[in-house]
Amino acid sequence: MRTKLTRAVATLFALAALLGGATAGVAQATGGTHAHASRAHHKKHHRHHSRIPQHNGGDHDSDNNGGPSDGDGNI
Amino acid sequence: MTATATSSRRLLGLAGLLLAAVLAIAGCGGAGPNASGGGGAAQRSAGAFAWLSPAAPPAGWALARLPAGRAALAYPPGWRPIKADPGTFSAALMGPHGRISGYLNATPRQGAEKLANWASFRTAHNADEGDRGVVRDAAARGLRFRSGTGSCVIDHYATVSAHYREIACLVQGSHASTVVVAAAVPHEWARLAPQLERAISSFAT
Repeated sequence: MRTKLTRAVATLFALAALLGGATAGVAQATGGTHAHASRAHHKKHHRHHSRIPQHNGGDHDSDNNGGPSDGDGNI
Repeated sequence: MTATATSSRRLLGLAGLLLAAVLAIAGCGGAGPNASGGGGAAQRSAGAFAWLSPAAPPAGWALARLPAGRAALAYPPGWRPIKADPGTFSAALMGPHGRISGYLNATPRQGAEKLANWASFRTAHNADEGDRGVVRDAAARGLRFRSGTGSCVIDHYATVSAHYREIACLVQGSHASTVVVAAAVPHEWARLAPQLERAISSFAT
């Protein structure tokens, strides 16, 4: 009786640990989509790359003048 | 009943409670972040991109190529190339008062954008550039393009002078990774969406 119960408890704990790990994996995989984190990374990125000027910084293209946003990943 | 049996049953009960708690948390973790555009966004938003069907551009469309052949973007008759950043291409359908009604753009990937973070990157970037009221309407990853795979987001926002709805995709192809954007003013969306969708479906990089 005691042996069976011990095995059952051990199995439940193992299953719980396994599911707990899987849950943590999901959270980690989706955590990168947080807007704030992305924006913070983006701001940092701006300081290092400026291959395409924006904000009327000389090219005066449409997205600097009220037009749709283009595909550049920098400012 | 012995003390040992009682102890074992208590232990078993405790383990059961622990398992139930973990199952509950797993259920929340699987639905919450995915619903906000995380790993499960592809499944949830797949319907919004059902129109994406890789194909050659329609006959009569013009084809613009980025330098070094990194990408090819087709645009419909009646649209015209407009001033764009160096190394990129934009075409537009002009509306009243010189405003852009429809818009297509191809730009080499140049920032921290990745297939995995594209939807959040794009909307955050639009906000950073001064767009207001940026709202993500749909997003998907693992979409098939003519020359590779991509991540796409559909969102809408307001600039200083107009509102736009856009489909923006980061496409990772055999030669390069390129961003393709197709946008239109909301009141023209129903009319222009088929052209925007064909432009994206025929995009190659």
